[in-house]
Amino acid sequence: MQVDFSPVLDPEFRYVLALAVLFAGVALGYVVGRVNERLLLALGVDDAVEGTSIERMARDVGASTVTLVARLTSWIIYAFSVLVALQVAELTVQDAVWYPIVGFIPSVVIAVAVLFFGVIAGDKAELFVSERLRSVKVPEMSVVPKVVKYSVLFVAVLVALSQVGVAIDALLVLLAAYVGSLILFTAVATHQLLTSAASGVYLLLRQPYGIGDRVAIGEHEGIVQEVNVFVTRVEDDGREYVLPNHLVFDRGVVVVRE
Amino acid sequence: MARPTELLDDVLDGIDVLLVFSPSGAYYDRVKDVEGADVVVVATENAVGAETFVELPLAFDDVKERIRFGIEGALSEGAVEDGDALGCAAPLFGDEVDMVARTKVDESRHSGIYDLFANSRAEPGVIRDVFEVAIELGQKGQKGEPVGALFVVGDAGKVMNKSRPLSYNPFEKSHVHVGDPIVNVMLKEFSRLDGAFVISDSGKIVSAYRYLEPGAEGTDIPKGLGARHMAAGAITRDTTAVAIVLSESDGLVRAFKGGELVLELDPEEY
Repeated sequence: MQVDFSPVLDPEFRYVLALAVLFAGVALGYVVGRVNERLLLALGVDDAVEGTSIERMARDVGASTVTLVARLTSWIIYAFSVLVALQVAELTVQDAVWYPIVGFIPSVVIAVAVLFFGVIAGDKAELFVSERLRSVKVPEMSVVPKVVKYSVLFVAVLVALSQVGVAIDALLVLLAAYVGSLILFTAVATHQLLTSAASGVYLLLRQPYGIGDRVAIGEHEGIVQEVNVFVTRVEDDGREYVLPNHLVFDRGVVVVRE
Repeated sequence: MARPTELLDDVLDGIDVLLVFSPSGAYYDRVKDVEGADVVVVATENAVGAETFVELPLAFDDVKERIRFGIEGALSEGAVEDGDALGCAAPLFGDEVDMVARTKVDESRHSGIYDLFANSRAEPGVIRDVFEVAIELGQKGQKGEPVGALFVVGDAGKVMNKSRPLSYNPFEKSHVHVGDPIVNVMLKEFSRLDGAFVISDSGKIVSAYRYLEPGAEGTDIPKGLGARHMAAGAITRDTTAVAIVLSESDGLVRAFKGGELVLELDPEEY
């Protein structure tokens, strides 16, 4: 039996099909948006973004981060269905104009998502670091959480820009210089802490001396009161020497037995 | 007709010092410029930036204990004097200040409990954890039988040199600290054995089964207490440690410092 395809090719029918695609797209977008919102709420995203700048921004426009993300997914699907509908209806004047733009959309979406998560992660990192530093009541310390936040943001922006194909070589060099100097600074500044910690791990594992032993480390002799990862506390005659553990390896230790 | 707030006038009339317990920032702003009385903030941390501040090493649940501790602390810090009339504002049911009380500073009732926590070698949290173990042990005993236990906290190096092992030390080469739940179970099990537990300033359990050998001369503890208490009193006199004892015979928890009994409490009340 011969199937008659002519009604499908009929321009009138194409418009009907395009309309159907459009409606299906709208319905799908709406449903996906709703499901997405439920999913995000169930995952506890609303609690996780509490107090971050994106949430505050969203509140200013009378929404929340979760509803914004859900709407965004809906709108992406709406836009896509409109494009598909136009294609079906063959209303597009030139395919060549549309395809690069359509092909570009995923990159833009990913870039926006990366930026979004970058901002949230930056805020969270800032919050976490400032909570940790709260007991340190030095005003200069307030710089540290900000540095952490903008470092995270910088990396997020870099990833987002590379996603949409912007040349970021200069920024990469900047990032490398920044990370390099950070590592150098940390290595130089905490050199003794690190060597002490390495020695401390050995001391805690092997315990060549313990609490109550009389030891001499360098020129300090006394009874061991405490050994932790970084220091050994040695007390003699009411004087408590707090000796960094790397001294134990630098100078050796004498365990005094009567 | 008197309004309800006027009835409180008697309570706060003529007080010399107002103790405010764990105030919120907004409450402290209202209270700090109050006329006719000095303001002393008592809390676990000085979150409001108060000028006169007494630190609570633990958040006492019992308000009476908390106030007693606050007064002793204020007395030790010189914020109040013997005979001062005190007003106390504290949270009782919620987190906000919701009660006021009036009391007097009585130096003779100074027990040294503040000193025990705040001015000991060991960290306050460690002393608290040991107290909790002793109290729990006193409540439940070991398999229903009453047990005794002796914990020597702080100055572990010196304590170890003034004691000898009764047997192998089960905590040899281990890194366990008081306060971990599993360690509390271990401490309870080992409390069946004789001898003292030695705990360092930072809470590391250095040894169990220690036989304490301090010089006992000059140790003055109440008559009727046994050898365990005598050893506890004597070791704190010889070292800067604090000793916490659970009595096997009467079930009370006692703390010794500097050779003296500073605190006595009944585990059943906690």
